[in-house]
Amino acid sequence: MTAIQADGLSKSYRHFHVLDSVTFQVHAGECFALFGPNGAGKTTLLKILATVNRPTAGHFTILQHDGVREKEAIRRSIMMLAHGSHLYDDLNAMENLRFAMAMRGITMSNRQGKQALDRVDIGAFAEMKIRFFSAGMKKRLALAKAILAQPQVLFLDEPFTALDEAGIHTMIEFIHELRRGQATVFLTTHDRAKAAEVANRAGLLQKGTLSSFTIKNPFHDLS
Amino acid sequence: MTYLKVIQWVVWKDLISEIRSRETISSMLFFALIVILVFSFSFSMDQQAARQLIAGIIWVAFAFTGIIGLGRSFTSELQNDCLEYLQISWAPKGAIYLGKVAGNFLFMLAVEVLLFPLFVLFFNLDVVEEIGLLLVIFFLATLGLAAVGTLFSALTVQIRAREVMLPVLLLPMVIPVMIAAVEATRGALNGDPLFLYSQWLQLLVVFNIVFTVVSYWLFELILDS
Repeated sequence: MTAIQADGLSKSYRHFHVLDSVTFQVHAGECFALFGPNGAGKTTLLKILATVNRPTAGHFTILQHDGVREKEAIRRSIMMLAHGSHLYDDLNAMENLRFAMAMRGITMSNRQGKQALDRVDIGAFAEMKIRFFSAGMKKRLALAKAILAQPQVLFLDEPFTALDEAGIHTMIEFIHELRRGQATVFLTTHDRAKAAEVANRAGLLQKGTLSSFTIKNPFHDLS
Repeated sequence: MTYLKVIQWVVWKDLISEIRSRETISSMLFFALIVILVFSFSFSMDQQAARQLIAGIIWVAFAFTGIIGLGRSFTSELQNDCLEYLQISWAPKGAIYLGKVAGNFLFMLAVEVLLFPLFVLFFNLDVVEEIGLLLVIFFLATLGLAAVGTLFSALTVQIRAREVMLPVLLLPMVIPVMIAAVEATRGALNGDPLFLYSQWLQLLVVFNIVFTVVSYWLFELILDS
């Protein structure tokens, strides 16, 4: 089953073309890594697929739902961990989790919240306000949100940035876990070595064009 | 997911954040105190003169204080790109809007309730008999300001000159609320019979219903654009 299908996706800001007719597909259970230099349009593409931004031209579907007309259906199946941590500075870690889950219609118990925080090794900071968190701790908390949400399609923008080795290991483990459950992961990164540990397919985005589309066969054996 | 739960969570989040940071309330109170002090020193009024002018002064203070709070309502969502999370969440966008309106309404009403005794004190007002009616007027007019202001706060939050654009866009839209609030407040403070100014209360009710419904539908478009 095709999880992500993009046909001729383009994005322009006035006369500046960020994406130029990008076409690709990702199947359910796959992890697709998107590489590219700074300014290539990786985050733009990711945010279009996550229904944050609209494409200027082209068409895409997520789990067979149309990217423009069926945004709400898509949003029920996806989660995005972006550069911004999507966390409120004046709420503590547990409160942030509770609010984030409430916005996804999930009632989270204290035990579930604690388990998620423990899994990303910040259980001891459950009552600490986010404004005192480091960038790495925020990334771990964002990962805890994804662990609780268990999305069918996960979009990750530079997932390994700011994380220490243990955090990267937890992130990689979680991606494998999602794929074992037939969930799909789409990530952008500059770190080819880390991507090789989790992704089975990869693409290279340059000057807004998916000029090189490599299929590693596979990067990582999930069995 | 029920609408009510989303509304509750948004209000809870805004209240908890504000109680901990006290950024919005403190700037609102500080501005309003300055307005009261300046007006109280500018006019040395007897009670009769005060009753004629004070309604306008009260609503100038309340409206501009409210704009400070409304402006911060969505700028707080910009930190860590939280607005993006709300945009792609499952939560009905209308419920997020109503939660934001409720939060803004509570902040503004809290400030008004704290400030009004200062108006009474500085301008030597006798409001014991009209206090219930005045609270109804404050309630209705503040709801109108919060309903429209929340929408415009969301509309201007991504604009670079948002601090300028919010009052420029909002104030013309809420002129009916301001006029109705001033006229009704003046009537109540003068001790006029209710039927003499009840049309202003009706205008506030109609404005609130119409603009809350319109803003409710527009909010999703604004959040997604």
